[in-house]
Amino acid sequence: MSNLIQSAVNGNSNGNGGGIAAYGSNALAVLQGSGGPLPSQYLTFLSGADTYAVGILHIKEIIEYGSLATVPMMPACVRGVINLRGAVVPVMDLAARFGGAPSGISKRSCIVIVEVQGAEDECKQVLGMLVDAVNAVVEIAAGDIEQPPSFGTRIRPDFIAGIGKAGGKFVTLLDIERVLSTEEIVELARTTAPAFA
Amino acid sequence: MSANAAVSQFAIDGEFTIYRAADLKTELLDALRKTQVLEVNLGGVTELDTAGLQVLMLAKQTAHADKRELHLVAHSPAVVEIFQMLDLGAFFGDAVLIH
Amino acid sequence: MNLDAALQTFIAESRELLEDMENALLNVDLACDTGEAIAAIFRAAHTIKGSAGLFSLDHIVAFTHVVESLLDEVRDCRVVLNDEMIVLLLSCCDFLNGMIDGLATGNFESDPDTKAEGEMLLAQLRRHMACACEEPAEGALAIPAEPGVERIGDGGGEERGDNDFWHISLRFGRGVLQNGMDPIAFLRYLAKLGTIKAIATLPDALPLAEDMDAELCYLGFEIAFDSPADKEAIEGVFEFAADDCDIRIIAPRSKVSHYVDLIRALPEQAARLGDILVRCGSVTARELEAALNQQHAGEGAPGEAAPPQPLGSILVEGGNVPPVVVEAALAKQKQVSDQKAQESRSIRIDSEKLDKLIDLVGELIIAGARANMIGQHIQNAELQECTSILSGLVEEVRDAALELRMVKIGATFNRFQRVVHDVARELGKDIGLIVSGEDAELDKTVVEKIGDPLMHLVRNAMDHGIESGEARVAAGKPAKGMIKLNAFHESGSIVIEVSDDGGGLRKDKIFAKAVERGLVDPERKMSDSEIYNLIFEAGFSTAEKITNLSGRGVGMDVVKRNITALRGSVDIGSREGQGTTVTVRLPLTLAIIDGFLVQVGSSIFVVPLDMIEECIEYATEPGQDYCNLRGQVLPFIRLRQLFRIDGACTRRESIVVLKLGALRAGLVVDTLLGEFQTVIKPLSPIFSEVKCISGSTILGSGEVALIVDVAALMHTVGGRAAAIAA
Repeated sequence: MSNLIQSAVNGNSNGNGGGIAAYGSNALAVLQGSGGPLPSQYLTFLSGADTYAVGILHIKEIIEYGSLATVPMMPACVRGVINLRGAVVPVMDLAARFGGAPSGISKRSCIVIVEVQGAEDECKQVLGMLVDAVNAVVEIAAGDIEQPPSFGTRIRPDFIAGIGKAGGKFVTLLDIERVLSTEEIVELARTTAPAFA
Repeated sequence: MSANAAVSQFAIDGEFTIYRAADLKTELLDALRKTQVLEVNLGGVTELDTAGLQVLMLAKQTAHADKRELHLVAHSPAVVEIFQMLDLGAFFGDAVLIH
Repeated sequence: MNLDAALQTFIAESRELLEDMENALLNVDLACDTGEAIAAIFRAAHTIKGSAGLFSLDHIVAFTHVVESLLDEVRDCRVVLNDEMIVLLLSCCDFLNGMIDGLATGNFESDPDTKAEGEMLLAQLRRHMACACEEPAEGALAIPAEPGVERIGDGGGEERGDNDFWHISLRFGRGVLQNGMDPIAFLRYLAKLGTIKAIATLPDALPLAEDMDAELCYLGFEIAFDSPADKEAIEGVFEFAADDCDIRIIAPRSKVSHYVDLIRALPEQAARLGDILVRCGSVTARELEAALNQQHAGEGAPGEAAPPQPLGSILVEGGNVPPVVVEAALAKQKQVSDQKAQESRSIRIDSEKLDKLIDLVGELIIAGARANMIGQHIQNAELQECTSILSGLVEEVRDAALELRMVKIGATFNRFQRVVHDVARELGKDIGLIVSGEDAELDKTVVEKIGDPLMHLVRNAMDHGIESGEARVAAGKPAKGMIKLNAFHESGSIVIEVSDDGGGLRKDKIFAKAVERGLVDPERKMSDSEIYNLIFEAGFSTAEKITNLSGRGVGMDVVKRNITALRGSVDIGSREGQGTTVTVRLPLTLAIIDGFLVQVGSSIFVVPLDMIEECIEYATEPGQDYCNLRGQVLPFIRLRQLFRIDGACTRRESIVVLKLGALRAGLVVDTLLGEFQTVIKPLSPIFSEVKCISGSTILGSGEVALIVDVAALMHTVGGRAAAIAA
């Protein structure tokens, strides 16, 4: 995993490499860390002006936003697909997934490649999340995580695994399996896809 | 048995085996040639081996060839055992008394 | 030896043998040569038994032995093979399959759960055998008489004569007595191994009295010997006299054709004639040696023009082997060498290795495409020439690799003979199966996954399609219903048709049911085809009676889903009173595609080359739905519209004329980009609802291009084309 992130940090063929340099190298350092990723470590990132975090055990790599092929007749939360070293990987737009407007692409936009288990009998899936920027990797002890409130959250409560405290601030920890649930997205697509005339 | 033919007797006693086979063959055949009907008493045979059996069979064949008769009687247990094992009853055609 | 690998081979081969056995059982009344069919069935059982014995799989050996015994009696015409027995034997096949499956999961003992079933089968087998005693065979399925074959030791009397005993022929040498041995002593010893059922003492060699030497042995014996001992053990009795005696032993039940069949049934190995005979037990190693010595002696003699006698003829002359047996052995040897030649032409491959190869070929193609692109880009003629050659070679490698994965669908179709046979019995209907297009080839994975859906379609046709015998006759149809399985290639796909000549689908009933289930608006006007396709909706079933097989409504929608998962499509056609045909269309390969690139807006799509009839430059009017192509209506599929792609339409458009079966449609795109062959990358399940896209691929530039599903696209215009034509 660390090699891949290395190459990602060094920059892809297109676009500038400056996007994740500042923060990415920090994340990189942790991900490449001596003992390997710990369950208490989380990658924090920005999406639609909010900060979220995902346990780094799920994360395979971080890459720059590059050319992406849109797939017709899919809901807005599925941005399209990219070529990840020969594999065609779907990319989700996190902002759109949370019900907001589709993300704009900026210099700091990244795609976080994650691996989710999916349902019992399904194989693991690799998906990409389009985020506005990647921040640092933080350490959050289990004791510092609280249950999410059942209402009043900006995003769906079932997307939230917990609220963690890091560096004096609160960070929304995402239930990534739920956010990237294939089942739900397929259901969304079914209702989105136009009926054939 | 022919009614008016003279019946001669010939007895074999003891071990009727290879060690005496040659001699017994000579004696038996001589006895056979001297008569029309020869009755061989095997009551005293304590042991019978292949050589001995062969002599008996040869005698039977010779008798048949010479148009004489050869009968075996008083088969001893040793003889009976061999005759039964090799199913020789038909060959010799004699009544065998089982002891 | 790697026991595990050997065991895997045993499992694989046993499964194949059981399949052969099943096929033979189902076809035995159709076979031109019933004798051969029955022999094949026997061979399968016999081989499994023998191989199982090697692995000490006693439970399998024991079961197969009884099956084999019954089959043996069938072979000998002592028992007639009737319908009931065929069913019983088929059940035995299933039971054996179960035991083999148990083996595969590491269970080397008999399964206590199935013990009762096994016992029952064995009892039934024995019952059929016991009956044979009362009813000597003379049935329709009796084996045709084999001319010129003799039953050794058969006095022409009852069936069970000497046959069940060993036949030992002894000719003692002259000097045996002088060597201190007594033949009678040997016979006494022999009697310890079994029972001497009959013995003839032969004094034929006794010379006349004058010439007879009392110390020489002139006796011979012919013995019928009842014993469970084997040939080696019996020979062992006479071991010490071996040099002074001619001993010939022939196995029990020694009908010559038994030897013939036995030899032919042996597991194949390269063997010289002698080895074959040794293995079949007609001769022993010692006799072989003697014969060989004789043969070599012939060779060694100088000045002899006569060529060394072939082993077979020596043995025959030595009186050991009846001539027919030798001939069979020679035939077998030839057969073995033929088969070896054939075996060396085929090889078992681990399917994982094959998959890996295909993957690598895929990557090779992508890499080659990139090289090609670069060559074009930098305009280096020499490089372009090289990459062109490279591309050509890669294409050939691709084709060859894909060929490896192709298997004939015939094997799958043939499995259905059994299904139709069993289900017909269950339903009490007389139904036959006709199969055609067995040679059509398709990808291995597709074959594996299409089996279950097809099975369900066939069962459905039998259960609901074909009417009862009386109903058919009343309708003027033949009492026997027919199911047809047909397969053929068409425009880059493989088409499989499952048809029946039953009652057809009832449109009104289907519609009514769909309305009842809330699947469809009662006012809606639907075409016949649309109504029939309602059957594939989940939870749908118009069967009045839910049978064991179908009618529970879980079937057809699962069938459709499975087929769709294979990127295939399924369609139904029917005529009331006449029958129904289900047409399944599947892509030939899941791996690599010959495509044609088109561009709409900034998106690039791949159209399977096989589906393209031609490309034309054509400027369409906005709102124009069709055009006239050489006198025929060509409906349009506007990709930009369909896929909601942003951007203004360009003035210069192109039309790719697609052809699927009898349907044609024009795909309206912005630009034609040219041919392109590449590896299909399956799309994530997230996109399973996107009907018109069947996969994705990676272009030389690294961009992802989506592969359009032509069948799905055509469906969008299907209705329209009909409307226009009307």
